[in-house]
Amino acid sequence: MTTNATRGSHSKRAILHRTLFLMAVCGVAMFFPLVWKLWDIAIVHHDEYQKMATKQQTLEFSISASRGNIYDRNDKVMAMSATVYKLIFSPIDLVKSVPNKDEKGKLLDQAVYDANVAARQDQMVEELMALVPTLDREKVVKQVHNTKAAYWEVKVNIEEEDKQVFQEYITEHKTASYLYLITSTKRYYPYSGLAAQALGFVNANGGAYGIEAVYNDLLEGTPGRVYTTRTAGGTERYNAYAEYVDAQDGYNLTLTIDTTIQAYLEKALEEGIQEFDVRNGAFGIAMDPKTGAILGIASSPDFDPNNYAQITNDLLNSQLEQNKADIFQSLKANNTENLTDSELMAKAESQAVSDARTTQWRSRAIDSRYEPGSTFKALVLAAAFEEGVVDENDTFYCSGSVTIPGYPKPISCSKKTGHGRQTLAEAVGNSCNPAFMEIGSRLGKDKFYDYFEAFGMLESTGIDLPGEASLAGGMWSREKMSNVDLAVASFGQRFEVTPLQMICGFSAVINGGNLVKPYVVQSISTKDGTVIQNTQTEVVRQVVSQQTSQRAADILEQVVSKGTGKNAYVAGYRIGGKTGSSEVKTEEDRTIVSFMGYAPADDPQVIVLIAYDKPQPKAPGSNESTTGRYISGGNMAARKAGPLIAQILDYMGVERVLNSDESAVADVSMPKVAGLSAGEAEKALKEKNLKCRTIGSGDAVSQQIPASGTKVPGGSTVILYLGDAVPQESGTVPDVTGKTYEAARTALEKEGFFMRASGVSTYYSNTTKAERQSVAGGDTAAIGTVIDVRFFNEVDDGYAG
Amino acid sequence: MARKAKRDLTMEEQLARGPLDLPFLMLVLILLGIGLVMLFSASYYTAFRDSSPRVHNNPYFYITNQALYAGAGLAIMYLVSRVNYQHLRWMAPLMLVGSIVLLVLCYIPGLNAPINYVRRWLRLLLVAGPTYQPSEVAKVAVVLFFAARLCKRDTEKQRRFTRRTGTGRLLNWLEKIGFLELVPYGVVLVVVLGLVVFEPHVSGALLVAVGAAAVLLVSGISLGWFVGLGGVGVAMVGLMYITTNYVKRKFTIWLHPELVDPQDGGYQYWQGIYSIASGGLLGRGLGESNQKYGFVPEPENDMIFSIAVEELGLVGAFMILLLFSLLILRGYWIALHARDKFGMLATVGIITLLSAQVFLNIGVVTGLIPNTGISLPFFSYGGTALMIQLAEMGVILSISRQIPAPRKD
Repeated sequence: MTTNATRGSHSKRAILHRTLFLMAVCGVAMFFPLVWKLWDIAIVHHDEYQKMATKQQTLEFSISASRGNIYDRNDKVMAMSATVYKLIFSPIDLVKSVPNKDEKGKLLDQAVYDANVAARQDQMVEELMALVPTLDREKVVKQVHNTKAAYWEVKVNIEEEDKQVFQEYITEHKTASYLYLITSTKRYYPYSGLAAQALGFVNANGGAYGIEAVYNDLLEGTPGRVYTTRTAGGTERYNAYAEYVDAQDGYNLTLTIDTTIQAYLEKALEEGIQEFDVRNGAFGIAMDPKTGAILGIASSPDFDPNNYAQITNDLLNSQLEQNKADIFQSLKANNTENLTDSELMAKAESQAVSDARTTQWRSRAIDSRYEPGSTFKALVLAAAFEEGVVDENDTFYCSGSVTIPGYPKPISCSKKTGHGRQTLAEAVGNSCNPAFMEIGSRLGKDKFYDYFEAFGMLESTGIDLPGEASLAGGMWSREKMSNVDLAVASFGQRFEVTPLQMICGFSAVINGGNLVKPYVVQSISTKDGTVIQNTQTEVVRQVVSQQTSQRAADILEQVVSKGTGKNAYVAGYRIGGKTGSSEVKTEEDRTIVSFMGYAPADDPQVIVLIAYDKPQPKAPGSNESTTGRYISGGNMAARKAGPLIAQILDYMGVERVLNSDESAVADVSMPKVAGLSAGEAEKALKEKNLKCRTIGSGDAVSQQIPASGTKVPGGSTVILYLGDAVPQESGTVPDVTGKTYEAARTALEKEGFFMRASGVSTYYSNTTKAERQSVAGGDTAAIGTVIDVRFFNEVDDGYAG
Repeated sequence: MARKAKRDLTMEEQLARGPLDLPFLMLVLILLGIGLVMLFSASYYTAFRDSSPRVHNNPYFYITNQALYAGAGLAIMYLVSRVNYQHLRWMAPLMLVGSIVLLVLCYIPGLNAPINYVRRWLRLLLVAGPTYQPSEVAKVAVVLFFAARLCKRDTEKQRRFTRRTGTGRLLNWLEKIGFLELVPYGVVLVVVLGLVVFEPHVSGALLVAVGAAAVLLVSGISLGWFVGLGGVGVAMVGLMYITTNYVKRKFTIWLHPELVDPQDGGYQYWQGIYSIASGGLLGRGLGESNQKYGFVPEPENDMIFSIAVEELGLVGAFMILLLFSLLILRGYWIALHARDKFGMLATVGIITLLSAQVFLNIGVVTGLIPNTGISLPFFSYGGTALMIQLAEMGVILSISRQIPAPRKD
């Protein structure tokens, strides 16, 4: 070591080495761990981390599809969906919206922060109450302070026009993070309860009953989907990778149901229920017999699909209390869980309400079976014609009952005294059971069974409505069917089919012999109206020949014009049909009265089946109802079916064609005869099919009753005043109820009134009685008034065991 | 002033007009270009979402500013590269004093711009942006000061003290082991590091220390001091780990990121990892990062490299690393060929600083080292930092001008 040693005594070599060392470390070596780490993350653990990254980056939500509408055959909307809104409040996000820092970014004291939150919550309660005044304050307070919750539906079903208020509030107060609107949909049924069971309804899970359920997949459409990336703030990002699947809106359905016909049908059912004191509801079907298109299908009690859980039917509501009590008693008797009375009562109530709901949601014309009774005779008749075992010239003798080997008691006819000797047409018209037992035995068991099957009585119809009743146990098997079974089955007893099967079978009898498959959905179309599927009539099979069908139809027409179906008669329309009454075996005093009618007879446009379940008898075992009418299809169902069919035909634009008898009493316009001589007047009147009587003396007609231009029924006797005779202003209308046609007319005309008869055919027998008159007896009316008198025929077609 | 004719130039002046080191310049420009593109890609969503009056939801806010700073920085780089770096010898002590003054100013309320009680920023003597960190200036000032002093080691005589007194013998011994020589450097370092650490700005202090250490190492200081000081450093970190939760937590996040709730402390770490993993081998494509949409915190700043990997993939990341590697190697090459020891030490200090920043930034993003908060040169947003960075490159370019031409024998 010299004294001249410098501080930097290291050799240049060492400095070079150190620099090279740094160069190697910083320029090369330090990159190795970085490269290794990058490789490890981006390649080795790529999938694992990528998955987590994707999870936080993706945004996936669905776009709801709008549910298709349901239209009737005339494109009237029966069911539609509308967008509504829900107001949602999130208590937890309200708390988050309160800042925990002051303006300078300094954390607030916990106590100050808590106080701020509490103040905001109190304020929120006021705001919510102001916004939705109908809310219960106590509930609002509870919800706002329930800070664990993030979702409370403040108000649902907010419609578009009401939405604005909320929207403005949200924008103005910047509440979107904790108070916001979301869209949802609501199903509307503009016709309320009309065709309720056929339409069904929509609950939270989609279509629940009826067409809404069967066609749910088509109606609801396919929800769309958005699959995209999002920002950390949760907002959607628009980029090329985003996947948008548009929502496929549901298809629209056009039904075969006509809202007008449906309304007529439902009205007929409701009126009948009132009129006959029916206790168990009613059902009806109107169908195009040639195509199987259902024009109307109804079941009472019904409901409003807009509020499907509500029980609105009076009858159902009144039975509810009784059922509740019954269920309560049975629960109490079998109280294994030792519940208190109030608990049992609550249970009974919910059970009874649920039962009542099920009842009102059921479409009885499809999902229940009944004994068709005499309406089935039409099918037996057609089968017998087809097989050639009877013809129109056959006669049948009815003594009132027949004894069939194998059955201890004689089987009686509805008319216990017997119909005597009758032609085939008369036997059908009288609904004579012994005659049909004879026809049935002529057919024989095998043939009977073949036709029974061919008419579709052993298979479900395949209609596009849910819940066709199971047919198991409804009919004897071919092997087990005895002669007694054959005998009773020949007049429609002791087996069960659904009303829909029956109307289809009956249609096959009268429409030319074809069994058609019934349907309610005519076409399926997209939102823009493109029809993607149109239902064609499906002929299941030809059951009888065209000719047989024609022959059967002729005879069935006479049932209405002359026989037990007389009460369904409407002048101008050739209505054919068959009445039916059947006792329900499981219940005392429960009869289902029905009528199956179709028109016009020569070219059927519509076939109607209506039935009333349990018109209340006056006393147990009585054949007479509380409303004083003999309980039978002919006396009850036919009376409602006739006007209903006429109404439907009027609506469909089918012209009335009067036969000669009918035109004789058809309305004519009173000519002006005042001023003419009596002889000339009489001649002029005769041309118009009017008779006359004169009052006073003289040669010239001074005045006339009625005035010229007034419509009076043909054949009426008008009054001519001769000379100075002056007509009275008004007179007292005589009471003609209970009188026969002729007697009633005479009585009215004597007092200067005219009678327009309705109700039954022109084949008035002495059992035809005036039932009701438009101006009650004893009331005063202007002379010359035309009084509408409704006639009624008591028919013997009741159930005969 | 008229340009002097070549014949009138002194030797030094002639040398100062030598050619720039073109490879080094090109690497700087390429990295800066890539950095600007990535900054735009990484920052526009953040800027778009930022409704503060400064940014005002302008998606071009960061890129516009950064491009302007880059332009200004390039101009400064050019000017610095034209300056004869020998002038830096006398400038260095002034710069050091100036930076110490600035660091002191950070502690004066009103002049500083504290964020969450951290006083790293000054709103005084602004060049670019609303604030800047004086520690950026301190880093380069310390390096230049050390380089300017240490280059004279070879000519400095060892001090001799009387052997008669104990003190004299002790001093002689201390001079012998090189301690006395280190005292001025130690004092400077203690002052600067102290001021930076207590801002607090540990990562800034770390970089100052790294720059100083590199210059000291290459100047030939005995390796024993490095071993000793390194040991003290590790011991201090260990002490901090035991005594403070802050450091402990950083280590936990680093060593066991899976134990930390991603929504809590490990959030930044995990988002960086997701970004890198999403990139895969080839990346999503430029501008296609999903993570920059609010997931990665400060994608325009410390985490920008993770966005770069997501968009450019591992291949792009390796390209960037390769460019940095080449820049660093070229920097050391310039140092090795520098005309004098001052140029060499200054270059080594500056390049080591740069490589330390690259390593610490990417190391943090990839989870290799605990989070420190160091920006990536040429990439991260920051006007002053970028301009100082480019000025440093200008110093190296200036040094490269005076590299003697290879002898052609």
